[in-house]
Amino acid sequence: MAAQSLLGWCVALLGVGAAASLIVSRRRELAGWVALVAVAIAWVPLALLVVAGFSRGVPEFDVLALPSLGARLAVAVDPLSALFLAVTAVIALAAVLYSVHYMTHYRADGVAKFYPVLLVFFAATIGVLVTQDLLFFLVFWELMTLTSFFLVIFERESPASQRAGLKYFVITHAATLCMLAAFLLLWRQSGSFHLAAAREAMGVMLVERPLTAHLVLLLLLIGFATKAGVLPMGDWLPDAHPVAPSGMSAVLSGALVKLGIYGLIRVFCGLLPAASSFGWGVVIALAGTGSLLVGALTALRQNDSKRLLAFSTIGQIGYICLALGVGVACLAEQPALAVVALAGALLHLVNHACFKSCLFMGAGAVLFRTGERDLDRLGGLWHQMPATAGSTTVGSLALAGVPPFNGFASKWLIICSCLLAGLQRPIFMVLGLVALFASLATLAYVLKVLGAVFFGAAQRRFVVDEVPVSMALPQVALAGLCVLLGVLPQLPLRLVSPAVTAAVPGGIPAAGDVLGGLLGISITVDGATVAGWAPLLVLATGIVLSALVWGLQRMGGATVREVPVWNCGEEHDSGIVRYAASSFYLPFKQAIAGIYPRLSLRAPRFPSPVRRTLEMDSWLYLPVARLMERVSHSTSRLHVGVPQVYLMWIVLGAIIVVGLVMVVAG
Amino acid sequence: MSWNVGAVVGLALLNAALVLVLAPLAEGVMRKLRALIHSRKGPPIRQPYLDLAKLLAKEDLRVTPGLFYAVMPSLTLGAVLVLATLVPMGARPPLGFAGDVVVLLYVTAASAVLMMLTAFASRSPYAFVGGSREMMLLMAVEPVMAVALVTGAVKAGSLSAGAIMEWNAANGPTLSMAVAGFALLLALQAQAGRLPFDIPEADQEIMGGTFIEQSGPRLALFRWAMWAKQLVVALLLVELFVPWPRFGLLPVDLVLALVKAMVVLLLVAVIDAVNPRLRIDQAISYYAKVAFSSLAALAFAVIGM
Repeated sequence: MAAQSLLGWCVALLGVGAAASLIVSRRRELAGWVALVAVAIAWVPLALLVVAGFSRGVPEFDVLALPSLGARLAVAVDPLSALFLAVTAVIALAAVLYSVHYMTHYRADGVAKFYPVLLVFFAATIGVLVTQDLLFFLVFWELMTLTSFFLVIFERESPASQRAGLKYFVITHAATLCMLAAFLLLWRQSGSFHLAAAREAMGVMLVERPLTAHLVLLLLLIGFATKAGVLPMGDWLPDAHPVAPSGMSAVLSGALVKLGIYGLIRVFCGLLPAASSFGWGVVIALAGTGSLLVGALTALRQNDSKRLLAFSTIGQIGYICLALGVGVACLAEQPALAVVALAGALLHLVNHACFKSCLFMGAGAVLFRTGERDLDRLGGLWHQMPATAGSTTVGSLALAGVPPFNGFASKWLIICSCLLAGLQRPIFMVLGLVALFASLATLAYVLKVLGAVFFGAAQRRFVVDEVPVSMALPQVALAGLCVLLGVLPQLPLRLVSPAVTAAVPGGIPAAGDVLGGLLGISITVDGATVAGWAPLLVLATGIVLSALVWGLQRMGGATVREVPVWNCGEEHDSGIVRYAASSFYLPFKQAIAGIYPRLSLRAPRFPSPVRRTLEMDSWLYLPVARLMERVSHSTSRLHVGVPQVYLMWIVLGAIIVVGLVMVVAG
Repeated sequence: MSWNVGAVVGLALLNAALVLVLAPLAEGVMRKLRALIHSRKGPPIRQPYLDLAKLLAKEDLRVTPGLFYAVMPSLTLGAVLVLATLVPMGARPPLGFAGDVVVLLYVTAASAVLMMLTAFASRSPYAFVGGSREMMLLMAVEPVMAVALVTGAVKAGSLSAGAIMEWNAANGPTLSMAVAGFALLLALQAQAGRLPFDIPEADQEIMGGTFIEQSGPRLALFRWAMWAKQLVVALLLVELFVPWPRFGLLPVDLVLALVKAMVVLLLVAVIDAVNPRLRIDQAISYYAKVAFSSLAALAFAVIGM
């Protein structure tokens, strides 16, 4: 089938699904199943499109043209788009399946404003990823931002959700404005909104008007980095993620913020010629490093499970940006290392989508059953929710980069690329060491979450069941993906490599020459293998050695007996004698207390005459209301409740009427 | 890359077995030295073996049911033995091609992670206190190790531990490697869980902290893992930063490395015997200072000293 009709089918199916789920939205579960079926069927054309994108690329074709503006809806799928489409597709399916049951626990808010909006959001995301025209890119981008805004403010009666939504709306629209300005500047140069024209325009501008060219790049950096959640512009993220429904939080972290990275790659690898990319690479890498350090350390201080994960997303996006920056900076001088860094960025992006969505779903599952997000009040859920606990543990260890899970493979690539690039440019080595330290902080906060939620003892005894299968399945599947992609990193690398090649139109060494390895990944620079990671081999060694040690442990023939926890002889309820999440790492947390400053902005105040004029209550409404009140008060005095008095009024009234009639008649 | 499967498997097993067998011996010697400093007679050097044998035969008391909790001690010791296969001992590390120094750093952390997970799973508040302290200590110590190893990587131009060892053996002592080696020595004290940094266990204070609920065979494996870890990190230190003299003959180089590691561990034991325990915040600020100072090694390496 032609790519054109595949794309058409895909969008049409999502649209039909949106309409159908809107029609049946009175029945929460049914609406969810309808949306799921729509996404599942839309998967087929989307998967074919992704396969086509990876295998031979979908050549550009026009859907719609606006010649007067120099804009046409040109669509193409190259491996880079295909990679992002694949990630979005996987996360979309998992999140919708998860939401079917999850959305039943909202009492006040109907799903009519969830599933249809979510499906439109997915369609807009596909549009962003395939369009080759900046104007239509912006249209889809805006559609995506608006739909995600409505999903963030889903809980109508929660002030926190409304406030977070407003913040998201304002910040992302400021960013969109930056992008619009940048696109218009490019359009003024070339007269066309097409990506290829923009690339040429950028090349010309860098020579003729370098100041404007760098202004355009700065505006685009601000625009995309805001969406990606890079600090300080990413400040919307820690507010918006926790308040959205958990399925949507998974999508926000798994797919939406990734589009900011997509934009950055398109701009700084695609638009910017390699010759002038070093400075911008350093800027992106520094922004990423700041983000990953502050994100990880701030996450360490959080006690709200979803807010903690949101800060962790900032940190992990920081890793991706760091690698992207190193890659961009190395494009001209050390293209082999640029391949390593860009592959690390894209691989971490894929991995992050897997484990962070899994973790948000896990936090959502706990919230669904216990109604709690406060880590201090949770505990001891390991045996009650084994599937959630197991997949969250796997996801957490992957997030912390514990080998052999998938987070390690990509963090390894990122850190290796920093250290190797640092041999020439020492600044990258320092950034790599900061990234190493931040991954320890990451480890610290995931252990805190695991210790507080699943291990330990519950303060209030939660007697809960495991979540329904439709909620457990996506978590377990994503956790399984974390293990699979971690043990066999060469599989995702096979998809990432063509995407790296496609990202840099100026040409770059084939990823296969730099990142080889039959059993895993090895980095070969200038013919010498300088680093290697073979998870299968290390894992096999670990398993064999652990099994031998297990044999050693059983050798003594010790009998096993279960005993209660020993609290120095005192008999306490285990819920009372417990170590609360907020007590973890106290000395360390005190040392880093000021790392995430809070600005308290005040609304601007108008001069007092204006304010007085604007307060219509005081000079218009209140006087009128008081007058009315006084009149009705005096009227009510007449109603004394004595029949004789009423009779008297009637008689008086009759006399007056008769008198009036006589006057008029006479 | 050409490598002989048999040689790799043989060397890997040799490394793991050596560490497993010799770790209690090193511990015994360290205990003896400690006793001598305290003017005590001290236990016989074979005492750690006897301790292990006794613990392995004792009753296994568990506070948490389930497979996950049951396999944790074996996984922990297994992780330390994997670390042993990534560290050069007389020759290039057997699994060096499968894991470079970055992998090595993460595997070092992995054994600590397994211990902390066990501590949290044992539900005792003392274990939580211990686990929380262990994590803070890890955050303070690992950067020091990282800086030391990266300094070696800068000198050798490769992230492989074997390449760093060979570069250092061929090129002789340099200022940057000396500083980095000294930093790693300071880090070893905490990696070995020795005074003044035995804060996560702190017997007199939180009664073994991380290990409070571990007994019998489980405790045996955790103790073994701690002893093995200190030996492996000591071996890493001597092989990467003091690899001279080198004869190119595996048995000779191996014995030499073990002797040098023993000397380093005796130094650790001396520091252990004459110091009181620090508070965790003092330990963090101490290692923060060490980490920043060790950046000097990196700076020296970058300018070629």
